[in-house]
Amino acid sequence: MEPDDFALMDGVKNDREGAFEALVGRYQRRLYRLACGYLRHHEDALDAVQETLVRIYAARGGYRPDAHPFTWAARILANHCIDVLRQRRARPAVSLEETQSRPAGRDAIRLVSSEESPHERHERRELGRTIEEAIAALPETQRDIFMLRHFGEMRLEEIAVCRGCALGTVKSSLHRATRALREYLSRREPALALGEGERT
Amino acid sequence: MSRRPGRACRAARRALPLRHYGALAEREERALARHLAACPACAGEWEALRKMLVAAGPATVFPRESEVDWDRFARATVERARAAAVAPRWPVPFRLPALWAGLAAAAVVVAALWTLSFPTRPGGDRIALAPPGGGLTAESARESARMIEDRLARRSAARYLSDSRSLLLSLVQSPARCRRSGGDVDVSLEVERSRQLLRRQNLYEGDLEGLRDQRLAFLLRQLESVLMQVASLQDCASEGQIRDLREQIEQRQILLRIDLVAREIGGRTHVV
Repeated sequence: MEPDDFALMDGVKNDREGAFEALVGRYQRRLYRLACGYLRHHEDALDAVQETLVRIYAARGGYRPDAHPFTWAARILANHCIDVLRQRRARPAVSLEETQSRPAGRDAIRLVSSEESPHERHERRELGRTIEEAIAALPETQRDIFMLRHFGEMRLEEIAVCRGCALGTVKSSLHRATRALREYLSRREPALALGEGERT
Repeated sequence: MSRRPGRACRAARRALPLRHYGALAEREERALARHLAACPACAGEWEALRKMLVAAGPATVFPRESEVDWDRFARATVERARAAAVAPRWPVPFRLPALWAGLAAAAVVVAALWTLSFPTRPGGDRIALAPPGGGLTAESARESARMIEDRLARRSAARYLSDSRSLLLSLVQSPARCRRSGGDVDVSLEVERSRQLLRRQNLYEGDLEGLRDQRLAFLLRQLESVLMQVASLQDCASEGQIRDLREQIEQRQILLRIDLVAREIGGRTHVV
């Protein structure tokens, strides 16, 4: 049986062999999705994930188990992303289009999928962009809570702790966020967002 | 023509996202399943919501995630982390001076206590109060150092709270109009200051955690959440965004609580 996150973090703190590798494997994709939500840029998101995990390793001795390890990681990531956003202001803005089509600087870690046809890939990316726009249009609190649950896969109780709010706020924000997403998508992608009641 | 959903339907629809994320209790789950079986409109809502959330999966929203060789990425990350841990750590601008300042102050206090703890006889000879060979114990020196560290951390917290308070006040009380888009609010200064405060909180974090003050810790978490929202605003924020923030600040009584906690901390910093 795999150790839970607290046991794993305890292993990292005590330099148990393989513990940090397991933690990186478990968190890297979840952190990447959160970083994409903040930065909306693939390369910057990868850098942010790596930086966050390096910081976690450097600060492992000071970790206290009163916060869930992923909550802790998400906070480190969020603060790093805020710094990146600030630095980015000094540079000309990068459009989403450019973000998606720009060749990656990390060729060594890329692996292009060959199972999808260019047309399918194009359609999926178009849909992805529409959903991304819908998420970006959400109010701040709703967007963060939706991102943490949907892409960060955090439990609602953990999100409440992470954001310092009541569990009820998390639940109502999640409800409002999904309703707003459906309303946005019903205008852009009707087939995706309409319920039975609305079709009749 | 569509009918307005009844109370049971509204409650069921509020619970649908929670059902998707497996956050309903067993009893709630059973009740919702019963309602969906009896209500085609809500069942349709459930299907549509589920379909949308499945479609909005990582593969669609983050298409480039699948392009990454995550095993290699993990190996590279582990190597980088280990290399960084072996190399000298990056400078921590606040803690190092605080540590040295703490140690220096501790040395001064220890010296003062050492001098004061030996009353002199009228003849001028010192009377040893500690057991023979003991002198001032290491325990009391540690205690003095701890008290000084505690005081420094409280001062940092008081400064941080005071700066955060003035930022929040300027945000809720005197919004400046944005030149670029007329109706919006210019929050560029507040955005910049909130980012600086978040960075400062990161630097203080270890020191503040050492205080073990539950009320302060809770306030700092809420403050962090608000500051993060301010930090992620555009320079010209909408009236709605400012109203949301104002409501949050009022609902959580953040300004009042900052006053109370800062006063309490301010009082305690003088008790050393």
